[in-house]
Amino acid sequence: MSVSAPTPLPESREPDSRSSPTSSSVDVRVEGLSKRYGAFWALRDASFDIRSGEILGLIGPNGSGKTTLFRCVAGVAPATSGVVRHREAPIAGKHRKHFLYFVPDGIRPWPDQTVDWVLRFAAGLHGAPAKARDEIIASLGLSSLLAARLRELSKGEHRRVMLSIGLLTPQPLLMLDEPFDGLDLRQTRDVMSVLTTHARSGRTLFLSIHQLGDAARICDRLVLLSDGRVAGEGTLDELRGRARLGPTQSLEDVFLALT
Amino acid sequence: MSAHRTRWLLEKELRELAASRSYWLLLLVVGALVGHQFMTATSIYAEASGAGGGPAALSQGLSPLEGIVVPTFGAYDIAATLLFPFVVIRLIANEKQTGVLALTLQSPLPFSATMMAKLVALLAAWLLAGLAGAVALLAWRGAGGHLYGPETVTVLLGHLLRGLLTIGVGAAAAALATSAASAAIVALTVILGTWALDYVAAARGGVIASVAAYTPSAALRVFEHGELRVATVLILATLGIGGIVAATVWLREGEPVSRRVRDVLIVLVTVVALCTVFARVRQSRDVSEDRRNSFPRGDEVALRSIDAPLHVTVYLAAEDPRLADLERGVLAKLRRTMREVDVTYAARGRSGLFERPDQHYGEIWYQLGDRREMTRSTTDEIVLETIYRLAGRAAPPADTAPPYPGYPLAAGMRAAPWIFFVAWPLCVILAWWVGRRRPVSRRRAA
Repeated sequence: MSVSAPTPLPESREPDSRSSPTSSSVDVRVEGLSKRYGAFWALRDASFDIRSGEILGLIGPNGSGKTTLFRCVAGVAPATSGVVRHREAPIAGKHRKHFLYFVPDGIRPWPDQTVDWVLRFAAGLHGAPAKARDEIIASLGLSSLLAARLRELSKGEHRRVMLSIGLLTPQPLLMLDEPFDGLDLRQTRDVMSVLTTHARSGRTLFLSIHQLGDAARICDRLVLLSDGRVAGEGTLDELRGRARLGPTQSLEDVFLALT
Repeated sequence: MSAHRTRWLLEKELRELAASRSYWLLLLVVGALVGHQFMTATSIYAEASGAGGGPAALSQGLSPLEGIVVPTFGAYDIAATLLFPFVVIRLIANEKQTGVLALTLQSPLPFSATMMAKLVALLAAWLLAGLAGAVALLAWRGAGGHLYGPETVTVLLGHLLRGLLTIGVGAAAAALATSAASAAIVALTVILGTWALDYVAAARGGVIASVAAYTPSAALRVFEHGELRVATVLILATLGIGGIVAATVWLREGEPVSRRVRDVLIVLVTVVALCTVFARVRQSRDVSEDRRNSFPRGDEVALRSIDAPLHVTVYLAAEDPRLADLERGVLAKLRRTMREVDVTYAARGRSGLFERPDQHYGEIWYQLGDRREMTRSTTDEIVLETIYRLAGRAAPPADTAPPYPGYPLAAGMRAAPWIFFVAWPLCVILAWWVGRRRPVSRRRAA
């Protein structure tokens, strides 16, 4: 993948690397979100805030409920209980698409269509100008794949196409489920760079990440999820403090200490 | 902006259809089926018209509607039953199977707009498949054959509504079932169920027969008889659109299951209520050139002038062929013509071998006001005489309108095999190949 203007990322993304996202107003508040499948609780009373302009990471091991939480917050799956507020107002699931867009993990849409057409479709449907589409294509290195059909793409290539669709949408909050899954080290860094640039333009990003190293590098704040419960929320330093760990301890150590 | 977005949605659905192998297979098979039906029909019609030196039938009996149009377009009944449901199911079930439903639900347009785009795309696909039938009609006209516009268009409308019904059933099955395979089983089960209903109705009559009048096969027969019956049009459209609405409601996966179940039930109840109301609509138009669904014009005028309701009590079992004759030749025409016709099917038993027949069996009683008269005849002339006697009126003078002339044509269709078994498949394959070509140079050109 070739990126037009790669932006070097710090090894660990600290809050001061952008314009104080942690002090920004709360844009979305998730309160007591629970989801039950039969007798199994996939989510239990999950509560946290999403602040305007931040990159919030949802981290947790496989099966911890990250995707379920994303689907419930996005309103594409019903929660058993709980409320999602936008600027303090509770918003029903079907209306959440007006302020957030969710790109799920593991979907393979429109396998017979070309990348070029899918991106034109996404831009046309969401009202994104052609210039923005071209910039996203260039920034994610998709130019050489435009004629390919989606079913011909590798996992990483497909991931970048799905990411492009998300970036073409206008909602102020973009939720990406496992945006780095399937990407190699260089691709991951490049996509992080694109997301960071995108976030600097004022968009809030909520990323579900199971690789803790990736999460520590890109996220302003983190929500730790374990067995469907929120085990902690805050910046890495705040989480270290809550776990009573030193400033050199990694997110992995913090996660293990808090869950 | 909304129109712009809708155009994108529609293009997406059309592209997804074009990517569907099941649709291309349908086009291929439809061409062959229509070709076979058309060649068989024209051959039989030519023989009846005296081709090859054989005896010609009475020309009045040679109607292109039932001789050519109905059998040729009968191919679409097969396609709508066994092929088109899979095209519909693929288009809907893919939303769930590929996970794209999560994106669709977040579309800036309402989810109903997406489903409406699917409906429009599927109707367009069904119309495009109808091109083979149109080619057959053109070939018939080209050979000097006669077509009467209103009755031909009515048959086409019947098949369009048949397609809409298939879309509704397929969409509902695809939405409710967990996979495309399960949806196909559900759709086929529904189709088999309507066949069973037809079978049972033929033997039992009553409420079952009333319901069975709107199974796909029975409803199509109305159009094929050259009758444009408002109730049939409305009910087929309601069932088709109802299926789409039920699918739309069920696919809103962001809503709790209990709410979706409730909403689907509301849709079902609404559809049943509407169909019940529509079934009472008696307006219909006989669009056949030979007026096969009507009494002579003079009799129609005389019958319309009778204000009193006509009560008919029929002592014939449902499976008795005389009842079918009476229904088609007399009762259907009376219902179309008189202000109020009330028919009671009073045969209790069935005319089985070991059943003791009712003492009134075979009688048909007509009552106008307090006057009653019985006849066993099922022919319209005798029934009309009976009604005029009950009404105390003289029969109108015989119709002076020229009789239906009939349109014999002993033409061979030598080009038909080339059209339907060579040119049509080649066109379909060529269209598929052009559609599959990449819009720009091969991927990874570097």
